[in-house]
Amino acid sequence: MSSESSKDRAEPRHSDHSPIHGSGWNAASASIEPLYNLFVAASELVLTVDLPYVNEKKVKLHCPSKEAIEISAVTTRKITFHELGAKHRHGEFTSYHARIRIPVQIDSKKIKSKFKHGVLEIHVPRTK
Amino acid sequence: MSDNDGFQIMETASIPNDAVMINGLPDVGLVGLLAASHIVSSLKLREVGSIESDMLPPMIVLHGGLPKSPVRLFAGDSLIVLLSETAIPLPLLRPLASGLVEWTQKKKIQLMMSLGGMAVANRQDIDSPKVFAALSEKKLEEKLNGSAEILDEGYIVGAYGLLLRRCAQASIPGIALLTQSYYNYPDPVAAAAALTSVNKILQLKIDVGELLKRGEEIRLRSKDIMHRTQEEMSRMNKAHEYDLPPLYG
Repeated sequence: MSSESSKDRAEPRHSDHSPIHGSGWNAASASIEPLYNLFVAASELVLTVDLPYVNEKKVKLHCPSKEAIEISAVTTRKITFHELGAKHRHGEFTSYHARIRIPVQIDSKKIKSKFKHGVLEIHVPRTK
Repeated sequence: MSDNDGFQIMETASIPNDAVMINGLPDVGLVGLLAASHIVSSLKLREVGSIESDMLPPMIVLHGGLPKSPVRLFAGDSLIVLLSETAIPLPLLRPLASGLVEWTQKKKIQLMMSLGGMAVANRQDIDSPKVFAALSEKKLEEKLNGSAEILDEGYIVGAYGLLLRRCAQASIPGIALLTQSYYNYPDPVAAAAALTSVNKILQLKIDVGELLKRGEEIRLRSKDIMHRTQEEMSRMNKAHEYDLPPLYG
């Protein structure tokens, strides 16, 4: 898993999503938006992301601003629309991507994460 | 056809009397839906009916090229499974719970078991999810056969809570089996744990290996229904049931 600073990354094409959860896909970038869950505690923000078919080493975290966390992960194999339940569509996905707007400011330098059973869990302190 | 306020139970084939009924409705971690689907396919239960309602989303599901209600009944010789492929909308919950229990009285159901999830914040760190049981009457504790811990205190929000209460009022034995799971991620491992308890209670031998082996595939395929279910759970304040946010603090 790697964590990147915000300076060298272009803004993603994805629009921001609900801070509660996400779903769907982006056929243009061949990426799936994962399910996620965000909780704002008194001193920190906890974000979990469901990432089936992902190896921990392929997870990338990035904070494009103090109000967003961006997650991307290459999948261990190609995933078809069929597997997502859309049998009438053709196409393949090779990654997950989510840009999650967060409702509080965070200290992105102190981001901590763990990956277990295909679920990413991120803890990051809130700035005061 | 059984007609209740706002919905009908359509029986399209013979449904046995004196059976055990298992409910697999989408909720926390989709535990019930995943477990019930696995029961239907493992025991090769036949489709015997459906639930029709104007309060359900205006949708059908296609199976084998045929249009079906997303909420259907399956049955074997002594087992009935209610399975929904869509989140049950909030306005339908009360009439559904009342109507189902009324219907089970007519069918002389011996036991109604509802399979669901119980969200825990540290689910990632749990290798073997625990199963808890809420009972409509104390004497059902014997039936559990040591397969679940009794849930003595707490809230159950949604269809299963209402069903259990209606069962208690109608003197129908009812068990809500709630398995530790992720809140809004499909959880086949929790579904397998729930099925292991079902096996003990009903003395069945359903193999849960396939659920575990195909875990990633199931999680991916169930992503959209989990997403829609989460929206419905938010409407009914389902997260408050387990006091989820403070667990993170």
